Amino acid sequence: MVKGAYKAVVIGGSAGSFSVVSKLLSQLREDFPLPVIICLHRLKHVRSGLVESIRLKSKLEVIEPNDKEPIKGGKVYLAPSNYHMFIEYDGTFSLSTEEPLNHSRPSIDHTLSSAAYVYRNKLIGIVLTGANKDGAKGMKDIADKRGHTIIQDPKTCEMDTMPKSVAKLIKPNEVLTPEGIVKFLNQLAL
Amino acid sequence: MDFKHYLQVLKENTPYDFSNYSDNSIKRRLQKVIADNDLTIDELLEKTQNDKGFIERLVEDITVNTTELFRDPELWPAFYEKLLPMLKGKKTFNIWHAGCSSGMEVYSNMILLNELGLLDKARIFATDISANMVRQCKNGNYRYGFNKRQLTDFKAVLRKYPLNGITAIDFSKYFEIDEASDRITVKEFLRDKVDVRQHDLVQSNPPFYHKFDVIFCRNVLIYFNANLQSKVYQMFHKQLYPKGAMILGNHESLTGFYNTKFNKNGPVYTKSNSFHFKYH
Repeated sequence: MVKGAYKAVVIGGSAGSFSVVSKLLSQLREDFPLPVIICLHRLKHVRSGLVESIRLKSKLEVIEPNDKEPIKGGKVYLAPSNYHMFIEYDGTFSLSTEEPLNHSRPSIDHTLSSAAYVYRNKLIGIVLTGANKDGAKGMKDIADKRGHTIIQDPKTCEMDTMPKSVAKLIKPNEVLTPEGIVKFLNQLAL
Repeated sequence: MDFKHYLQVLKENTPYDFSNYSDNSIKRRLQKVIADNDLTIDELLEKTQNDKGFIERLVEDITVNTTELFRDPELWPAFYEKLLPMLKGKKTFNIWHAGCSSGMEVYSNMILLNELGLLDKARIFATDISANMVRQCKNGNYRYGFNKRQLTDFKAVLRKYPLNGITAIDFSKYFEIDEASDRITVKEFLRDKVDVRQHDLVQSNPPFYHKFDVIFCRNVLIYFNANLQSKVYQMFHKQLYPKGAMILGNHESLTGFYNTKFNKNGPVYTKSNSFHFKYH
């Protein structure tokens, strides 16, 4: 793998992927240099403490970004509750409260598609366990731009609708267990 | 479609200028309008130049009108913890809800002011770019099912974080609820009290001659580019009394020059009186 081949990692999953995300972030190496951009479905009406719980596990700093916040390497960004989160060409986030997509706000498709247009073939897209098809179209956009696509192995998923919907649209570059995803990310020559 | 060209056509033929909205969001909204209306580019251009009714609907569809009663419930006690000392000391005060959408936040705020015994001292103004939203705000008539959850959530928040000693609100004082037809209507004494006007924040002149003690502008400026945001902050700054407060959305932050002209106090930005030497 060529050094500098990637500029960002973007991850989608539903509320149930929390434990997988925690595991990834607790095992990701401390000097991981790329931004890790995460969009998880969350329960809108519950002040879930999601970001606090993820912070406890993560070796990297975890941020729920504000609108127009610059994206930096080595940080974990979590889409804030009740906002869509987009990546902009100038390397910032933008937030929006427009209508839910796939019954979801934040919607994984919005985050993944906008990241695909900005990072193109220098993006790693990962879809984890989840109970609806949000994220599939976003992963297709990543694949169309020749980004690297990974789905969690459906056999290891509590809910496999999300990764399976991706596999219906594209042939992912990798189908990995959570351990496999950690290994893949930690071995990147960055 | 070259959306920048289209925004130019819109600007030249209508009172609306979206050219300083942030690129991706305006592009996304326009694509949605075109898809929802099943229009060709030529039809869109034709309607833009000749169909006033279409333009009003377009403005409503382009702008994002997400709002709910007591949105971000846990933030309201925090707002008032910061605002109360200032408001209590005044004989009267002015509040502006800029970008009020259908008005749910305006009425949420008025209910809290009434509970705090401050509504009589308040003059409430609300503005939105969309004529239809102005109408909806004046009517104060909403879907009940959509708001039931918000009211329940807010009750739970009050029990946990009392607002100046208030631990419960009897919402029947403020709304007529018709469950059968799924409608909730704000009572007249609140609707009559708010002055709602059509106004576009892109126009740098505010629609008021007087100043304000509090300006609510939540999740509105996120759709603007940094340049336009800065102009709006400048207008808000000018329209606020010294120590007046500006309240933004949960994940909005002041950046750039105007960051130095406000003090952040929890979720509330207060107009700063300090002299910023380097900028004068």
